[in-house]
Amino acid sequence: MLKIKNILTLTEKCAPTIRLLSSAVPQPSESTTQIETAQIPSDLQQEVLKHPDYFQVHNLFTVKDLFDARIHYGHKEGSLDPKMLPYIYGSRLGHTIFDLDKTAEYLRRALNVAAHIAYRDGVILFLLRGAQNSHLVERYAKECGEFAHTRFWRGGIFTNSEKQFGAVTRLPDLCIFVNTLNTVLTQHTAVRDAAKMGIATIGIVDSNCNPNLLTYLVPGNDDSPVAVEMYCKLFKEAILRGKAKRKEHLEI
Amino acid sequence: MAGSRLEKVGTIFTRATGLMQAKAVTWEDRPVWYDVYAAFPPKEEPRFDRPAPDMKIKQIFYEDDKIRAIFHRNNKQIGTGNLLSSHPSLTQRFIETYKKVSQQYKGEADEKQIYVEAIDVLNRERSNREEAVATEEVSLSLAFKKAQSKQEKTGLSIKDIFKD
Repeated sequence: MLKIKNILTLTEKCAPTIRLLSSAVPQPSESTTQIETAQIPSDLQQEVLKHPDYFQVHNLFTVKDLFDARIHYGHKEGSLDPKMLPYIYGSRLGHTIFDLDKTAEYLRRALNVAAHIAYRDGVILFLLRGAQNSHLVERYAKECGEFAHTRFWRGGIFTNSEKQFGAVTRLPDLCIFVNTLNTVLTQHTAVRDAAKMGIATIGIVDSNCNPNLLTYLVPGNDDSPVAVEMYCKLFKEAILRGKAKRKEHLEI
Repeated sequence: MAGSRLEKVGTIFTRATGLMQAKAVTWEDRPVWYDVYAAFPPKEEPRFDRPAPDMKIKQIFYEDDKIRAIFHRNNKQIGTGNLLSSHPSLTQRFIETYKKVSQQYKGEADEKQIYVEAIDVLNRERSNREEAVATEEVSLSLAFKKAQSKQEKTGLSIKDIFKD
């Protein structure tokens, strides 16, 4: 039988629909238990991709909302990663301040991608390290029917998944890093592992992070609970919009 | 399924494209994000070896900072401020008055003179406020005393009412 339900046992599966492994390897399965997966016609999928902002994610937030959520606050100048310089507006008495106009641009791009992946029935995984916001992220992931991993990262969850879970495992199609740092100021191992396994990533990068390996980066504060809640809310809404459109198109 | 784990070579997109060109992966098996990436590529290529730009960080300063500096240089202890309060802080009030005073002089007075005057204005404002509070308290106690004396004049005693 297909062992597809063995997806990341640490995370919680809440999605009501069953997602099939997209691998072409023929699985010996009984014809009676074959699950029919609905497919959106590919021409409609292409049509959706042509629109610059199909899910209208641009109206999810304003720059003022970002400001109120304290997303412009960076770390002190001493811990600045020089790769983050283009996204920084300046330094106010030793504290770096993000350019929120740029953040908004990057965030809209990331939200659009998240909505598109949700529309294409991709598995989305929220990642975060740090106990303070851990439950918050898990709650939001649950609310939009996706997955979260906010606990200690056992090495090889992505790269050695077959051994770790004892079966062929479907990895996520998109990882959303609410912060990309480990608790000890080193980069989250999953950033590297996702790049290894060819998984697209969205990452909130603070002024002390390295943005290079992240596919879609969002420069901004990743420490304040208000900021984290803001990101979670936005991504949840974008994912739900993608899913709603998918449902709508499948029923036609 | 075939894959490339060399995350330091190219980007995830170029690696996925390469695998398809080499026919290690079929077009139908491409990752879910592949078409989305092609339609909405990230603004910078997510390469491991993308160099840091040669940029200088800008220092953020405002016009007010000069006035703020004068105030804090002369007053080391100004107490704690409440970040959640919507009232203007002491420094903000000083900046306001300093600007007003310097406008009155129209650039004819020097920094020290304006500073002394602005502090004077702030002190006067504070003493006015304290006086208002004090007079309120005095009037309240006076009213109480008056009421008491009036009560005595009527000669009615609550003790006597319940005697029988």
